[in-house]
Amino acid sequence: MRRRELSFVGIVVLVSLLMSLSGFANAAESKRGGTLRVAYGNRISHLDFHTAPGYEMMWVAMNIGCGLVNITPDGQFVPDAAASWEGSPDGKTYTFKLRDNVLFHDNTKLDAEAVKISIDRLMDPETKSGMRRFYEPVDRVEVVDPLTVRVHMKKPYAFFLHMIAGYRTGLVLYSPTFLKKPDAIENMRRGEPGSVIGCGPFKFVEWVPGDHLVMDRWEKYFKEGQPYLDRVIVRVIKDPISQMAAFNAGEIDFIASFTPEHVNTLKAQNPKAQILTGKETTPMAALMKVTVPCDGKMMSEERCPHPIFGDQRVRKAVACYGMNRDEIVEIAFRGQATPWLGIIPPGTMDTVDVNHLCPYDPKRAKELLADAGYGPNNPLTFEIITDTEKAVFNAIATVIKEQMARIGVTANIKLVDKVTWLNQVLKDAPWDMDVEDRLSLLTLDSNAYLSVTDSSWNTSRHTDAKVDEYYARYAAEMDPEKRQAIAKEFQEFMADKLYWNTLSGSPFYQAAQPWMKGYTYNAEFEVHYETVWLDR
Amino acid sequence: MREYILKRLLQVIPTVLMITLVVFAMMQAIPGDPIVALLGDAYDEEDAIRLRREYGLDKPIVEQYAIWLGKLLRGDWGESYLSGRDVLDDVVLRLPITVELIILAMAVALIIALPAGIIAALRQNTWADYTAMTSALVGISIPDFFLGILLLLVFSFALQGLLPSSGWVYLPGTCPTVVCNESVWGNLQHVIMPAIALGVGRAAILTRLLRASMLEVIRMEYITTARAKGLVENLIIIKHALKNALIPTVTIMGLQVGFLIGGAIVVETLFAIPGLGTYGINAIITRDYQQVQGFILLVALCFVLVNFLVDLTYSFLDPRIRYGTQR
Amino acid sequence: MPHEVMSKEAVADLRLPAAQPREHSSWRWGKSESLLMQTLQRLMRSKTAIFGLAIVSLLLVVSIFADALAPYSPTHNTPDETFQQPNRQHLLGTDQFGRDMLSRIIHGSRISLAVGLSSVLLAIFVGVPLGIVSGFYGGKVDTLVMRAMDLILAFPVFLLAIILMVMFTPTAGIIGTMKVVSAIAIVRIPIFARLVRGSVLSIKEKEYIEACRAVGQHDVKILFWHILPNCLAPIIVTATLGIATAIIVEASLSFLGLGTQPPTPSWGWDLKANVPWIQEHPWLALGPGVAIFITVLGFNLFGDGLRDALDPRLK
Repeated sequence: MRRRELSFVGIVVLVSLLMSLSGFANAAESKRGGTLRVAYGNRISHLDFHTAPGYEMMWVAMNIGCGLVNITPDGQFVPDAAASWEGSPDGKTYTFKLRDNVLFHDNTKLDAEAVKISIDRLMDPETKSGMRRFYEPVDRVEVVDPLTVRVHMKKPYAFFLHMIAGYRTGLVLYSPTFLKKPDAIENMRRGEPGSVIGCGPFKFVEWVPGDHLVMDRWEKYFKEGQPYLDRVIVRVIKDPISQMAAFNAGEIDFIASFTPEHVNTLKAQNPKAQILTGKETTPMAALMKVTVPCDGKMMSEERCPHPIFGDQRVRKAVACYGMNRDEIVEIAFRGQATPWLGIIPPGTMDTVDVNHLCPYDPKRAKELLADAGYGPNNPLTFEIITDTEKAVFNAIATVIKEQMARIGVTANIKLVDKVTWLNQVLKDAPWDMDVEDRLSLLTLDSNAYLSVTDSSWNTSRHTDAKVDEYYARYAAEMDPEKRQAIAKEFQEFMADKLYWNTLSGSPFYQAAQPWMKGYTYNAEFEVHYETVWLDR
Repeated sequence: MREYILKRLLQVIPTVLMITLVVFAMMQAIPGDPIVALLGDAYDEEDAIRLRREYGLDKPIVEQYAIWLGKLLRGDWGESYLSGRDVLDDVVLRLPITVELIILAMAVALIIALPAGIIAALRQNTWADYTAMTSALVGISIPDFFLGILLLLVFSFALQGLLPSSGWVYLPGTCPTVVCNESVWGNLQHVIMPAIALGVGRAAILTRLLRASMLEVIRMEYITTARAKGLVENLIIIKHALKNALIPTVTIMGLQVGFLIGGAIVVETLFAIPGLGTYGINAIITRDYQQVQGFILLVALCFVLVNFLVDLTYSFLDPRIRYGTQR
Repeated sequence: MPHEVMSKEAVADLRLPAAQPREHSSWRWGKSESLLMQTLQRLMRSKTAIFGLAIVSLLLVVSIFADALAPYSPTHNTPDETFQQPNRQHLLGTDQFGRDMLSRIIHGSRISLAVGLSSVLLAIFVGVPLGIVSGFYGGKVDTLVMRAMDLILAFPVFLLAIILMVMFTPTAGIIGTMKVVSAIAIVRIPIFARLVRGSVLSIKEKEYIEACRAVGQHDVKILFWHILPNCLAPIIVTATLGIATAIIVEASLSFLGLGTQPPTPSWGWDLKANVPWIQEHPWLALGPGVAIFITVLGFNLFGDGLRDALDPRLK
């Protein structure tokens, strides 16, 4: 009797063991289904991906739309709608072979013609796309055969793949059939149901501006088995404490961009939460205006040196030796950023640490100021303009003000709302120093459109053609080692001239619930939900 | 009487239009360009010039206003510069939420004010009276948003999320979008704190008014009648007092709508409620002229209409008007 | 607005001391002295008024002597003392920049009181003459002025203040404060204008005014000696209560980021800036909030007591 009982027990134990083992195996497999609830901190501007501003729109565009290639966190290119590609060694030609099974959400097939139409559209001034500048090196797009497209550059361009993968939205392909419909773009912008067509893993369901956006799985997505999620709901929650409250209550699975100042609190309240971050890829800058219009009319072609910061000595005194970047990071970011001088942020390709070129040295700062004619008899006063979009801007400005006081300089802070700020800096209004973070940089090349002499975003209005030269050399250099050398030279040049004054990296944080699996962190550049699955 | 109503009604329209014209002018006076906000970090000077022309922003102000008015008369409230969406659609989407908030705030105000005011009047000069009056003063002295912050502190944070700190859940059947969060309980959870924050200040004013009006009547009754003999007499007096108090109460409630609309802006911002308040403030800040016009038009219409109704009610009760004699 | 709704205004203003003619106590400067004594006596007896006056006086003292009273500078950053809990050195703790909250609150009283008082004074300065002129001369002037007042009143108070502030572009320092004062004043002008006009209208037809005119007294003299004293009481009460409202409006504007900008210490701004830290460091936001509350309460108490003292019949 006992033996039978024992063997019975033995069998039960064995079976249980086997079952639990298979359970372990299952635990690693992605589960299909579920709704991912995401919180964005800003409104989505509108849904015409080619022209809309703002990160939040980009992160939607990457999921509803698809491009040719994507980029991984370690800088490798992976296929998106393009199955394979080849770049000519001279950097003047890029050829893409498309997958055969890519369908737009209106069930039309993606072909080389569609790629040509999308790129041509982006390059057309009538489209008014902010990404037009990125396509300046492009000469023409050639349809080789229905699944092969070749892009010809005007001159060697080393970053075409980077650009279409991750400069802002990267390339987003539009369906030609959709474009032919009346009022297509109008409807797309407004988010009319059925009018936001892409080839990405999720199809558009609805959008209520300022409140939420919903996307559902696109059943005919070209990557087998993906996306796992049934639905993604994006909610706009502007306030960090509201985000935290919703997150802690389990109402939100993912905060796409979380303010650095509250990261420690979130960790403390929610020890199991996954906090995702990496080396900063966005610069936090305190730009100084270098030239002003000679005739006082804004955006005038003729430039004269700015009365204060036109003098390089003053720039160096204030921004090089007079600013304690460590202290700024400590107070404003609560230590969650990297003090940094170079215009290439710490996490961007070919970055160079040039911090040693500007050690905090109040004595030297005062000497330089005296040299330039400022001192106790002629005290220097200037104005810092910044906006209310992020609380950290004002914090930084406040710290700078205090630091300026230590070298006998008075800095007054002018705090305005984002729209006013945009108007002031973009329209050449009188201002002295501007504290803001800039576009996240996948490469130094993507900064070109922000700081070459004739760019609208060259807010410091410098006129140094050498800067343009550096960008051009860097973009055309196909050898990675030589590129690095150019980058180093450029960084040192900028640290000396200070047309662009970086304070630190601007950290990027994302927060995910412990049951959200499969997400790959790639800073602001790639926020994709097709690999995400919910473990519950 | 009828011609009085008509006369007042006709006055509403020019008032509302006047308001929209004034706001239009004020918006133009705001430094800044909606096109800059529209293009944001994708800004490029050439694009800006093209867009400005496309939207007719380079035309003179009077012409722009005339165009807007023309479209309005055809039922077109214009489109947002930023998103291209119909202003009317967005406004209609958000109106019910703000209306619900305001109605509930009024309800909260009444729930507090009715018992407090009545008791204070009946127990005049006792501790109950003083408590009610002091509480009323305290209620008026707390800014709406500070009360909201205190409520958040207690119910959302200290009590670990007993009530949600932001967002909205629709009442079943009212959700206009495809994907909906609908439930009565959820809606209540989201609206109760903002309604209280908004309503307490109004309760204070109502309490004082109720008390004063009732006292007027009670005093008179005591003077003119003999000493009250028994409960029945008292009840009659109370009922009479209440009736008398009701009219100015309704009047005041109508007049308070203006404060409620203003308060709703701040409270909606604090609680991140997708109502008209957040819509309006966002429109103003991004200089989205079309949205601002639509928002102001709606608010002005509501406000003026409510004032009109209050006027009507009051005049109705003032016999001098009813019988058409002038003072 | 038609004249008939006069009494509705009285209701709406919660029974202000009569801006209407009374047989027994039509105020004139001469008689008002003894009435003043009576009012003061009643005021002294009212507990609410005393309490309110105490708070208001305390605030005035604090704001005038802020520099001496505040233990630290309100704008000085101390990077190694950020987010301290209330302790011996910092009774209300320190904020994100290491600034002493107590000092910030003490200095913040300046802005709140300045805005409250100036905006009401400005509103009176503009509104009272408007009301007098409008009521006294009547006709086209009256219609024009009242239309303008109606236009302002057609907006919800706070909404108009918001639009005005966006128009003026909020800034820091004195100019920034002046902008806020102007915005709030503009919104309050109609109240005083209407009040005074009503008073003027009711007195205008009295016989003794006719008599004065017949004797040859100048209009200005009539206005000054006979009409103005009658309005004085409601103006004072409205002003006191108006200060309370002005302070709340200023705080609300700051909460939306449209009031006085930093680094000028302002209660409204501090409240808004410290709300994100409310879970970790609640006292930072509660401090300014309570300060606003106490100030407004003080003015409300005093205004209430004043109203009761001026017209005890209506208590």
